[in-house]
Amino acid sequence: MKVSLFEIYKVFFIIGIQLLGGGYVIVPLLKSSVVEEKKWLTEEELIDFYAMSQCIPGIIAGNIATCAGFKIRGILGALTAILGIITPPFVIIIMLANILTSIIDYPIIQNAFWGIRISVVILVILTIKDLWTKSVNSTFAYILFFFILLCLLILPVSPTLIIITSAVISLLYSKIKGSKNA
Amino acid sequence: MLKLYFLIFYEFMKIGVFAIGGGYAALPFLYYLQEKYNWFSMEELTNMIAVSNITPGPIGINMATYTGYTTANLLGAIIATSAIILIPFIMTIIITKLFVKFQSCSCVNMAFTGLKPAACALLASISIKLFYQTIIRTKDEPSSFCFIDYQALLLFLLIIIPFIFFKKNPLIVIILGAVGGIVIKGF
Repeated sequence: MKVSLFEIYKVFFIIGIQLLGGGYVIVPLLKSSVVEEKKWLTEEELIDFYAMSQCIPGIIAGNIATCAGFKIRGILGALTAILGIITPPFVIIIMLANILTSIIDYPIIQNAFWGIRISVVILVILTIKDLWTKSVNSTFAYILFFFILLCLLILPVSPTLIIITSAVISLLYSKIKGSKNA
Repeated sequence: MLKLYFLIFYEFMKIGVFAIGGGYAALPFLYYLQEKYNWFSMEELTNMIAVSNITPGPIGINMATYTGYTTANLLGAIIATSAIILIPFIMTIIITKLFVKFQSCSCVNMAFTGLKPAACALLASISIKLFYQTIIRTKDEPSSFCFIDYQALLLFLLIIIPFIFFKKNPLIVIILGAVGGIVIKGF
């Protein structure tokens, strides 16, 4: 039996509301709704999608939703799933943006955002700390990290260029390392 | 105007492809956009990051919606949001279709070993710029070369020190910043 597109939209819309605190939260949410309650997917498929989404560029939560929707009902299903998941945040952001522009001139809000801007600096630093312990753990990674940082501080290089260059460098590096081991 | 919409689409499509490494990966790209086009001010961008953090939904997509909205209203938000998910969407469908059971490909893994340190370095350069702008130099003192905003430095240290030991919670960090701002600046 075909699952209706409206049903898919509804389920992913609800997941979209609950997606607080980054993309990874989508895995347990999908598990409880799409796997256990609706039985549209098996748990194994979900784990596969998660692994796959990490190898595809883009936002992980969006990629997992696309995979799941596609498995449930083809391209239309994928489109419905991703639309469902981004509708709630989209509406909330637009609303918040409007509220913010109308209250930003009050001194108390100005003061709050003065502090919040400091919070953002802290959040970025804490993210770097997490990312650093997870990924900058070899001599190659250290060299690459400091080399790129130095480049960025001296020249206005585009992030796109940085990502492409480091992908090429890592591929070459692993090829060289691979041929040495072989 | 049409040119602006096209530019938004093009730039956010690029972010969708190249922003690798989690929710904050889009950040260096947005700062780059700020420097390149001046669609929004640095201060606005920082506010947008804060709001994207406390809203449900993937942070990267939220930031696209917000920056698109600030740049060119509702249509801008729709264009930016769809552009950032377009290429990954197509790639995901193709890959799901091709591989019934996905084998994690070693080639991609190899590229990723270098991409994460690169993403980390991109964020590090942004954090240095952000730190400089919010704490070292303020706009009120354009003449002085190195002016430390001691109030900002105090709040920065007060909030960051506990989180060196505990796991970060974006919501709490932002609430602490807001309360701290109101208390320090208000009195």
